[in-house]
Amino acid sequence: MTTDKLTPEFEIFQGELKSFILRMTASVQDAEDIVQETYIKAHAKLNTFRGESSLKTWVFSIASNLARDLLRSKKRWPETVTDICREESLGNPQFFQEALQIRQTSPQGNFEIKEHIALCFTCVSKSLPLEQQLALLLKEVYGFSMKEIASILNQTEAMVKYYLHTSRSRMIEVFDQRCSLINKQGICHQCTELNGIFNPKQKVQEELVKIEMAKDAENKSKEELFDLRMKILQELDPFESGAAELQLHHLEYNRQVMEKYLGE
Amino acid sequence: MNQQTNPKAVTEKRMFSRETTVSLNIEAHPSIVWALLTHASDIPRWNSTVVSLTGEIKEGGAIELKSTLDEKRVFKLKVKEFVPEKRLVWGDGMGSRVYSLDKKSNGVLFSMSEKIGGPLFPLFAKMIPSFDRSFEQFAADLKKEAETIQGSKK
Repeated sequence: MTTDKLTPEFEIFQGELKSFILRMTASVQDAEDIVQETYIKAHAKLNTFRGESSLKTWVFSIASNLARDLLRSKKRWPETVTDICREESLGNPQFFQEALQIRQTSPQGNFEIKEHIALCFTCVSKSLPLEQQLALLLKEVYGFSMKEIASILNQTEAMVKYYLHTSRSRMIEVFDQRCSLINKQGICHQCTELNGIFNPKQKVQEELVKIEMAKDAENKSKEELFDLRMKILQELDPFESGAAELQLHHLEYNRQVMEKYLGE
Repeated sequence: MNQQTNPKAVTEKRMFSRETTVSLNIEAHPSIVWALLTHASDIPRWNSTVVSLTGEIKEGGAIELKSTLDEKRVFKLKVKEFVPEKRLVWGDGMGSRVYSLDKKSNGVLFSMSEKIGGPLFPLFAKMIPSFDRSFEQFAADLKKEAETIQGSKK
């Protein structure tokens, strides 16, 4: 591998890398910094790349280590993150003023429930232990194999299986107990509430019909519904979607609320 | 899958102590069994004998355990030995729980034992419930979860 080849290959998966780091850190600034630092490290260490894995796996490994270094000292978010942030936002008119301005003026200011589902997963998955969160995203959203994840995390495949099984089980239970889209007893209606604020003329049911997960909630198992949730994440680029600016504003707000809540 | 799904616990009673042991083969990588035994916050998810477990299972760590044996009581325990993928011991002044993993060609031989006792043991021995069923359930739950993970393709 030469430097000349690194740059164009890096550019092919740079978008995925940036969204992966965003979903780990919940910070646009950290995602941008880590992607840049990853490129610099990959460039500097290129002579150590032996081609035992793909370049993409190797680069994701560098980025994962940087994200781990950043996040290791930070506290995990509580599973109730969306409730905490909702309460905080209700007492903060500035949050809604900024969001409504983005909604009205930005080409990336649409509100779509599926985009909020992706943001919700990003926030709730930060309640998982770091290695579990990494493994879950790498497998379920970015499609890496067990072997590749083992290489990225520098763990055995057996441990990767453990991380994946545990994190999936945990997230399936959390969403089943919380999300009213998939369980009528669910206590969280935030995505439909926000739809009412940002799309006042649009009926919630019309919006929900677009989402396979909500349509199939009564017929599918918890595991299948989780897979549909993952499919939404796979198909969305949080930096490029039609709702990107609105959702990133929301994510940034949640991160600030969590940092205050956790005393960081 | 290993057919030994109903492990049998054995209790040896003495004047000043009581020791319960259970062991069974688990067809899973030792690291999976070890991870299940040592990730404290995850244990109540797969282990039906544990009501709650807080703290960190690491060398010198302290944990607080609520078991189905007595849900009103919180056991405050110290991790006394921590040898990854081989041996874990936790306990208090009254006794110790020992977990050991012996690597085999098709997985691990898992053993768990707990010895309680002391000079005053005869006075309260009858008040302590039998551990046998709880131990058997613990081992069966561990085997089921570890073999499920080992066999998972996800």
